[in-house]
Amino acid sequence: MVNNFVRLLSNRVIFLVLLLIVVTIIMSIISPYFFDWGNFITMTRFGAVLVLVGLGQSLIILGGGAGIDLSVGSMISLSGVLFGIFVGLGINEWVAALMTVFFGGLLGSINGVTIALWNLPPLIGTLGTMYAYAALALVITNGVPLSGFSEGFSFLANGKVLGLPTQIILIVIPVFLILLFIMERTNFGRWIYLAGVNEEAAQFSGIQVKRVRFILYAISGILAGFSAVIFSSWFMASRPDVGNGMEMKAITVAVLGGIDIFGGVGNLVGTMLSVAIVTMIASGLQLANINTIWQLAVLGFILLGSIALNQLFVKNQLKL
Amino acid sequence: MKKKNGLRKYIPKPDRREVFTIILLITEIIIFSIVSPYFLSFNNLETVLRNSTDLAVVSIGMTMVMVLGGIDISIGSSLGVVAILVGWMLQAAIHPILVVFVAIISGVLIGTLNGLLVTKARIPAIIATLGTSNILRAMIFGMLGGRWLTGLPRVFGLFTKGHILGIPIPVFLLTIFYFSFWLFLTYTPVGRHIYAVGNSAEATKLSGVNTDRTMILAFALLGSLVGFSALIYVGRLASVEITVGIDLPMAAIAASVIGGTSVKGGKGSVIGTLAGVLFIAIMKNGIVLLGIPSLWERAVVGLLIIVSVLVDLVVGIRLEKKQREQLSKQRMQVSKYFVVERN
Repeated sequence: MVNNFVRLLSNRVIFLVLLLIVVTIIMSIISPYFFDWGNFITMTRFGAVLVLVGLGQSLIILGGGAGIDLSVGSMISLSGVLFGIFVGLGINEWVAALMTVFFGGLLGSINGVTIALWNLPPLIGTLGTMYAYAALALVITNGVPLSGFSEGFSFLANGKVLGLPTQIILIVIPVFLILLFIMERTNFGRWIYLAGVNEEAAQFSGIQVKRVRFILYAISGILAGFSAVIFSSWFMASRPDVGNGMEMKAITVAVLGGIDIFGGVGNLVGTMLSVAIVTMIASGLQLANINTIWQLAVLGFILLGSIALNQLFVKNQLKL
Repeated sequence: MKKKNGLRKYIPKPDRREVFTIILLITEIIIFSIVSPYFLSFNNLETVLRNSTDLAVVSIGMTMVMVLGGIDISIGSSLGVVAILVGWMLQAAIHPILVVFVAIISGVLIGTLNGLLVTKARIPAIIATLGTSNILRAMIFGMLGGRWLTGLPRVFGLFTKGHILGIPIPVFLLTIFYFSFWLFLTYTPVGRHIYAVGNSAEATKLSGVNTDRTMILAFALLGSLVGFSALIYVGRLASVEITVGIDLPMAAIAASVIGGTSVKGGKGSVIGTLAGVLFIAIMKNGIVLLGIPSLWERAVVGLLIIVSVLVDLVVGIRLEKKQREQLSKQRMQVSKYFVVERN
């Protein structure tokens, strides 16, 4: 009986769903406004960017080789600034958005080159670009936000399609489904897992591990580009420091979602669930008028608790 | 000649990597002193040193933990928490010696907690310290309550601004700290265990070392250094703001890495780290002296991290290739010899 329960909990997705239910119950006790349709809508808006960077981070960590991307926040800032510049040059916002996404991919590819091709440790490579991109964003704008976007552009982050926020319908859900399809149904997805589980074995079975990892860093950059566009539309300005601290949130979400930090284990559904948990806590605390700072502490405790629990399960499983 | 004992065999010679960083540092100093006449002035050098004392002290601990194969990204937040405690005690006019004591003890407690999470709960160091970092950051906000601590009495200003015989105290401070930790890491069994764990935790465990205790000790020592740095920080700035220490973990990692510490563990030394800290500090100073907007600072540091590690990688591959070539040449000669013999 107990063993069965432990086995059930050690399935990460089930564990996260239970945690989600617990969090929902706690939050609706704390705040009576929690179960409100309008509140759910606002919540998804908060979660949009977190989903994107969380997915990018998950992919990179899954790819193994101690993969991690500390530069996501800076990539968001820098590509956001570039978006502001494009618009300032008189380019249509939607064209500029596409160019920004492409530029994000370019920034990610630079990480891919230094890490996947030149064998730099990921922590170092992305630490370097984290510094470099963030500083470039500040240098280009002199620290002043760029604005002057047309009213229509705010539709992306503040408008609704079919009763749901635009960015969720048009960006987050398609991106998630595409990535999930890639991970679960294509050879490339299997390659990512294999590269994460056993790099050498993957190499011997003919998988170009370097190329796979390069593509993962580029994808993370592309997702950062999307995030930059969403942020720009949300604030109707390109702030050069908008992505600060995003990398830590992304790692937290990925790890909470059950992505093994050593690569190869975990799935994207877990990441989505953990984003849901994190955003619920955030907005629940906000509604209950508890300072948002405590989110950080709650997040820290959940992170530590869930990983410790996970390790305990792994240990028990070995014994069973 | 003295007989070599068992331990001494494992004492490393200065690494190629350390030498590389020191050469970089010297080149940098020469370039800046040519470009700006003000650079080599006593005042300027003292400012550089003063502003990087806390980073230098923390980086020792970071190097130690990274050599173990770990990492600690909570040091910024824990420095903040300790700094606030110190600020409160100074406002309450508690005796400075007691303040020093409490600061170091609370640093050790936080470090030990991290160590326990990593060893006993078996959470990977980067995640464990990310978690504690979040919690401690929230504590900082809670403790400060939205207001800064300002106008604190400059009891510990001495650490950075004082002089003994005309030599700034940071010089003594850093010499003592770096020398004693160099001795600790190079000549004591526990110090060697730290390297051994970083190279292969399993092999070390099998050879009878309590690896968990070594790890907890390293994290606790890092904590004590963070506690001491909090004193320096409060003494230098006489205030604690909400963003206290937010850049510190990354800066300490950068300094260690530029100084040759491997992220994979097992490699690195405090001497390299000192060179790394000074290299970054002087670079920042030089950027200001050259009249480049200080916004560029971080971009340059970021590039330097990548370039220094990259150059090291390339040199390492070259050297390895050369060694391999030499080895195969020797083998060729040996086999030729055998062939001749047989004929």
